[in-house]
Amino acid sequence: MPPRIPTNPSASSASALVRNSFASPCTSQSLPGGRAGFSTTPIRERSTNLRRAFLEWTRKVASHYRRPNSEGPSYLINGRPSPASRNRLRPFPLNRNFQSESVLNDQARELIWGKVMRKGESLKAVSAELGVDLTRVAAVVRLKEVEKDWVSKGKKLATPYSRAVLGMLPTKSLREGVENQPLEPINELHIHAATQKQLFWPTSESRQFTREDAAKAFHPKMLSADERVPHPELIQMEKDLLRNMSPNEARTRFINAAEESERKAAQRQMKKAMAEEQATTKINTPRFEFRFREVDSELVGKNGRAPNVVGWKYGMPHYDRKKGMVKIPTSVP
Amino acid sequence: MPRAAQRRLHVLRRPKLRQSWSKYNLYNLWRQRDPKIGNADHETFFQQKWKAKGLLRAYHGEHIKERDWERMFSRRLLSVANMNPRYMAENDGSEMAAGRGSGKDTERNWDADVVKPSVITPYMNMTFAPMERRLDIAIFRAMFASSARQARHFVVHGKVKVNGKVMNFPAYKLNPGDMFQVDPDAVLFATGAPKKKGGSNARLGITGSQKNNAEAEPAAEEEAEGAEAEGAEATAEASEEVPEQDPETTDKPEAPKADMKPTRFAIRKLTEQAKSILAKDKDVSASQKQNLRSFLKRAKPLLSKAGRSAATPADVLDELNSMVKELNLSGAPTDAAAAAANAAPAATPEAPASPSSGQAVASTRRGPPRSIEDLNEDELKALQRLIKEEEENPADPTKPYHTPWKPRDYMSPFAFIPRYLEVNQKVCSAVYLRHPVARVGSAEVPTPFGPSTNQLAFNWYLRRR
Repeated sequence: MPPRIPTNPSASSASALVRNSFASPCTSQSLPGGRAGFSTTPIRERSTNLRRAFLEWTRKVASHYRRPNSEGPSYLINGRPSPASRNRLRPFPLNRNFQSESVLNDQARELIWGKVMRKGESLKAVSAELGVDLTRVAAVVRLKEVEKDWVSKGKKLATPYSRAVLGMLPTKSLREGVENQPLEPINELHIHAATQKQLFWPTSESRQFTREDAAKAFHPKMLSADERVPHPELIQMEKDLLRNMSPNEARTRFINAAEESERKAAQRQMKKAMAEEQATTKINTPRFEFRFREVDSELVGKNGRAPNVVGWKYGMPHYDRKKGMVKIPTSVP
Repeated sequence: MPRAAQRRLHVLRRPKLRQSWSKYNLYNLWRQRDPKIGNADHETFFQQKWKAKGLLRAYHGEHIKERDWERMFSRRLLSVANMNPRYMAENDGSEMAAGRGSGKDTERNWDADVVKPSVITPYMNMTFAPMERRLDIAIFRAMFASSARQARHFVVHGKVKVNGKVMNFPAYKLNPGDMFQVDPDAVLFATGAPKKKGGSNARLGITGSQKNNAEAEPAAEEEAEGAEAEGAEATAEASEEVPEQDPETTDKPEAPKADMKPTRFAIRKLTEQAKSILAKDKDVSASQKQNLRSFLKRAKPLLSKAGRSAATPADVLDELNSMVKELNLSGAPTDAAAAAANAAPAATPEAPASPSSGQAVASTRRGPPRSIEDLNEDELKALQRLIKEEEENPADPTKPYHTPWKPRDYMSPFAFIPRYLEVNQKVCSAVYLRHPVARVGSAEVPTPFGPSTNQLAFNWYLRRR
């Protein structure tokens, strides 16, 4: 076969190149390895069945996923799509145990912020009323505060991004004054490691062996499930209702109890901070603030090597000053 | 074995799933079938574990060294149980002593038409839960980056704050309650459509070497489309910019100095109203947005022109009117022929003095608007909405992403936010609420394979514990 002159790259239009990408000649000026310098035969573009299948897919199937769906989320559907599978919220088709779950929309976040910051309702009461996890309520308020701060400072919000992302996700709206479907279960109990072992615990058949006793059987210091759940006040409210208390009164008692528990938690935190403050002597210099605390160098723990004490730990090398030791912080206060 | 950074992330042959929003990854995810590890007896247990671990590690933090992950791995899998307050109020726990010591069994009705399978708690899907604590992966999960690698890059380059302090360790393990913030510009860059490069066929001229062939062809396809769109925009821009270079401003220096204040007032009032009133309707077509963009572009020089002594009120209002008409706010077709000279009466100083009466008249009129005061309520609102949208999402050539911002292609099938994060997209911040947990029927760790594959991987890592 006689040597052929390569075609001019600029001559082939963009669309032609795409259409005939499998047959079009490569016009690389720099010669790839293994090719003789004198050859004028153009290399053919490497095209495999895999690539062809992929391009076929981008044309036929992927067009459905390319732009966001105006009706909400659109997750991958493997095989033949059915009406039931279309609105399935499963981002990984092979994992049946993972679902894309709803997030709060903007109005819902604003509502939560208003209830906590404007009306001064307790986090627990808001969480129980709206069916949003306690930690999430706190986080929503915290993030909303950041947002308001940005607005007041004139910092630009990422509104188009927010709108686009919330349009792709299943969202949950909350309304004031009506009973809302809960976003998530709010009274979830952490499965404590101590409760995961099997116990043989003989008791008399006549004994009323309650959750309290079960907790003590697992560990003498363990609290019962009634006290470890995020909303013990809700259980009390249900007990009140079972005792034929009027719903309004039970509700008022619940709200008061929730406020009381939050007040106590705040007090505890304040006390801790005050104790910390008192134990530290601060000396301000132009460059640093030195903080001194009393320590006991005799405190070394049970075996002399406790990790959180300052005393000499026999056999424990101190690597903190060694060159090249990356110390990734474990917490950011 | 090439280093992790040199290895290609997305491949078509022997595909691996990745934490990324690439279309190659989408394709691989789409054609992924159940690996069926351990279904037949031709594989030893070791082989099964090896294969399963390989599949999962390719997805979960492939940029993290195996040794690091092994140190991170924990055999303790977290889970929660939903406690119903009503049930807890009715029972004190002693009911569980019935039967064999774990409560009375409920008889299953095997004669029912549909016998539902018992639901398990997929503990095994929690194998890679410690990975989700890492800062870079949490950023990817919060949808602030298009891949875990990109998230890592953001952290390393100081674009991420944890609790208000810059954190440049991607391996920082988030604690429950930690808030992380990513620079909004970085987020918009990561999640937005890419910027078009000059609209030319520049990239097409360079035929890719065999190494980046996989990228080149679809990119070329997009480039071609982009080029067409760009070209269309450019021509539209050019045709619209003709009236901006108005030679009349220099032609009439001898004209008597007219009071330009009313015109300026009218323009300013329009902009101010637009800022004050909130948008309520959502049906704005793309062409209307385009029109608005060009309107705003031309309104600015017009405002400054109104201050110049050379311009007459009639000129300014003429231009304003034609611009407003081009907007076609109400969506109805406008009559181009009716855009003849009209503004002389409207330019009189008393017109803006009674804007409310002017609007009341305008609401009943027919035909194209004669001046800015002639716009009826709907048109004015539409204009204001368009102006607000333009302000929120402006076309800004200095940005490294396509402006006005729009989400990148193939993003929505990857869009989910796990429950252990609470995200506020407007400030590009999120709070890590708690560690991911398993509950009856679901596990919070986003993993592409089911419990059987995860279990084998879990066993692989247990071996060395």
